[in-house]
Amino acid sequence: MGKETPAEKSLNLIRGRLCDPSYVFRPLSASSDSNYSKLKFIVSTSITEGCNNSMLLLGPRGSGKAAVLDLVVGDLLEQFPDSVSVIRLNGLLHSDDNCAFKEIARQLCMEHHLLFSKMASFDDNSQFIIAMLRACGLAHKTIIFVLDEFDMFAQGKQRLLYSLLDAMQSVTSQAVVVGISSRLDADQLLEKRVRSRFSHRKFLFLPPSREELDGLFVHLLSLPADSGFPSGYVSRFNDKIKNLTSDTRFKDILKTLFNANTTVNSFLKFIFCAVSLMNLESGLLSLENFKAALSSMQRQPKLEAVRDCSVLELYLLVCMRRLEVKEQSSYNFISVMKEYKAIHDSFHTSDYYAQNVCLRAFEHLRERQVICYAENRGQSQTGEYRLQKLLISASELHQGMRSHACCPAILLKLLDH
Amino acid sequence: MPKEESSKVTRRSTRSSASVTVENPEPIESHPPTIDDLTFGDESITLDAVLSDFPGRRSQIFDFIRLMGPLDCPTLPIMIYGGASTGKTSVVLQVLRHLNRPFVYSSCRTCYNPRILFESILNQLLLHRKCSSNGYSSAKRCDKPSDFVNLLREALSNVIKTLESATGTSRLNKPDEKPMGKMVYLILDNVDLIRDWDKGSMILQFLFSLDSVLKMPQLGIVLISGLPPDVYYSNMGYTDPIPLFFPAYSEEDLRQIFLRNQANPKLYSAFLDAVLRSFCRVTRRVEELSTTFSSLFRKYCEPLDDLGISPNEDMKRRLYSYLKPFIAPCLNDIFRVSSHPHDGETRGERRQKVSYSSENREELKILDFHMSTSAKYLLIAAFLASRNPATLDASMFDSTGGMDNRKRKRKASEKSMEKKEIAEQEAVMKGPGSFPLERLLAIFQCIASVGDSSFGEENQGEEEEDPTGYDRENNNLMSDILLQVSSLCDANFLIKSGSCPLEGSIRYRSMVSEDLALKVAKSLSFPLAKYLYRR
Repeated sequence: MGKETPAEKSLNLIRGRLCDPSYVFRPLSASSDSNYSKLKFIVSTSITEGCNNSMLLLGPRGSGKAAVLDLVVGDLLEQFPDSVSVIRLNGLLHSDDNCAFKEIARQLCMEHHLLFSKMASFDDNSQFIIAMLRACGLAHKTIIFVLDEFDMFAQGKQRLLYSLLDAMQSVTSQAVVVGISSRLDADQLLEKRVRSRFSHRKFLFLPPSREELDGLFVHLLSLPADSGFPSGYVSRFNDKIKNLTSDTRFKDILKTLFNANTTVNSFLKFIFCAVSLMNLESGLLSLENFKAALSSMQRQPKLEAVRDCSVLELYLLVCMRRLEVKEQSSYNFISVMKEYKAIHDSFHTSDYYAQNVCLRAFEHLRERQVICYAENRGQSQTGEYRLQKLLISASELHQGMRSHACCPAILLKLLDH
Repeated sequence: MPKEESSKVTRRSTRSSASVTVENPEPIESHPPTIDDLTFGDESITLDAVLSDFPGRRSQIFDFIRLMGPLDCPTLPIMIYGGASTGKTSVVLQVLRHLNRPFVYSSCRTCYNPRILFESILNQLLLHRKCSSNGYSSAKRCDKPSDFVNLLREALSNVIKTLESATGTSRLNKPDEKPMGKMVYLILDNVDLIRDWDKGSMILQFLFSLDSVLKMPQLGIVLISGLPPDVYYSNMGYTDPIPLFFPAYSEEDLRQIFLRNQANPKLYSAFLDAVLRSFCRVTRRVEELSTTFSSLFRKYCEPLDDLGISPNEDMKRRLYSYLKPFIAPCLNDIFRVSSHPHDGETRGERRQKVSYSSENREELKILDFHMSTSAKYLLIAAFLASRNPATLDASMFDSTGGMDNRKRKRKASEKSMEKKEIAEQEAVMKGPGSFPLERLLAIFQCIASVGDSSFGEENQGEEEEDPTGYDRENNNLMSDILLQVSSLCDANFLIKSGSCPLEGSIRYRSMVSEDLALKVAKSLSFPLAKYLYRR
């Protein structure tokens, strides 16, 4: 059991905070008109008044919808310990109706300590669920159904949604259905009969403002004054964080980051990368960590692919580009070889290889998804005759070749004119 | 509600398998797998050993170690991507060996559908090994992601409980070994192959959001992919994992890689000076270069009597001039996989007999696999049917089986030359044409009769009146020919292309390159060039 240095302990602490969504979203939900408070109000009123309700949480990916809902549910479970039970479904896993009903029955059995049989049929499961809903309704227990990836449930015949919402209306039940989706038009996907039973309450999760994000940054990275850290270290660390937030270069880095993506999750990823690069001897964060994190997050995969190409593969790419420039929009390997031969004849390059070598290099390019087949239906031809197309633009090719380690100058000349 | 099913999967036994008795029972497993087996198992290695094992990967190793973090540090999912043979899998496994953390490794190349993938991960977590006593079955049956999530949660909580109790007791036997920690890492290799699976995009979406579905901070997920993350973008969207890029090796790194484990580093480094730069222009992949270099190095060492000497400048120059004529043909052969097994002496002998400069082409003209005569004729007939337009068949294959040699000497005008060029370009683009089965058989009969008559058979008299004089003798062989057609289809020399709904017959297309057709024709002494239509 090696002793952890303070740097390692702080690293563990901060990374643990970053990976825990409820810690991240609590300060963002602190104000009274946030989605958190509105959601909590609605769900708690339906619990106390014993009525049914349904709502949708919408917003781009990574804006904390599931996290806020978890916070609400956690608070309500503490507030009303015996009268709330939660059933969680995920559209990725349970979009098939059989699966979904089985999962609901399994979770209900686990909650109420009943024995669950895997061999129960679909009808058995649905009858069980309706019976449980009725029983819970009579006992004044509310069941909260959390449907993650709600738009996946709205594909197909929407049987699960219809049976849930129908049961809520016809049976004496107390249930709240909360759907979470990243499609902003998720309620348009519902069928007419489902939509009529759905109360169109929507909560929109917008990306937070700049001030909120700055506050979040300080909240996540400040070390607590107690909890076993050497006190001098804590004050040095927190001062460094404060200095960073007021540094203009750091503000520029943040601005570049937010120009691309303002969701909370990408901000968390950025902080995670920067914190992992922390210098473990000094135990303090520096501006270089954040710069390196930004560059590692903003990668350009196609440029990297071009830089990884060998010289022969670059020749083939340049030939394809030249064919495109000559207005020949559809080409295959044989026409590329003709262009390659033409280049060799006119410029007498030293890189002239046999056809099988070029074919293999062509295959390497296709495996790396730099080029691909132009259409899928030409399956009955060999790879040499099928039409190909470039998946990188001319400017990416230019840039990649200029930063390539050993690109011959003649290729750049050929590309330009 | 009835009781829950037993956890073991019972296999239905067929009558035959139940009646077979095992004569020699396998030795009983000496030890069932324990929690320690989740780590790499061998001797733990130092960081310097890892760094020296992988030249050129220093920054990637450090980045990966930093992303993993110190012991028990929660982590977001990581995706490691890079080209082929850039060392992704081996670096990950060796770093985990150095850090001595428990992990579960599963490759999507060997687990080729979701069920096998899920069951392999669960087997490792449940410490279940397939052996004869449990009939080589998995611990739990799982083919849907929903079941997988539930079973994974159970298995992970068991493993983590065991790990926590293990860290409580002090490890007296190996005091200098690093503690295992309380986190388990899940490593999925070759994730890009999932795109070709049935419902692959759903599985990929599920894997990328596995950590948010499970909500267990003690699991760290590492995905290894051969393709960059942008090929996974779909319209469903997901929060992408943290990327870590493994670029292809530079020339310096390749030199260091090839110099490792060499018996005579100075000699090999002189060899690399000669060949590395030119071969790097074609490909920078380690596996392709290593096969070529091993055979070239053998050639390089041929004039030397003593392989242990270190060469001086003069010797280097002489060795280089000896090697030089072989480099260029070897470059053109670089991707070729030899069909002969690699035994050093015989290969060296063959190489000495056949010098590379011009006789290399002779060696290439020999067909290096066996085909029956009728299959060879069928192959040539298919090649001709694909290359020649159907309207010329009558003139090409007339009753004497020879081509009409009258060439019309007419001065070609500008317009017809242009038309010819355009037609040629279209032919290049479209590739080999398709033909119905009847045409193939007709051409086959014509050229097979030509071949026979060139061997001097007695059927000369009947040839004039009946162009398909071969037919009578071959009536009973017709079924063989159709079998040959289907075996050529299996070998991908012919493929079935679309069939015309009006005519109803299946059309075929020949996939043979001109080189192979020439080789086959040469082995039959068949004058292929006379029958090919050149515009």
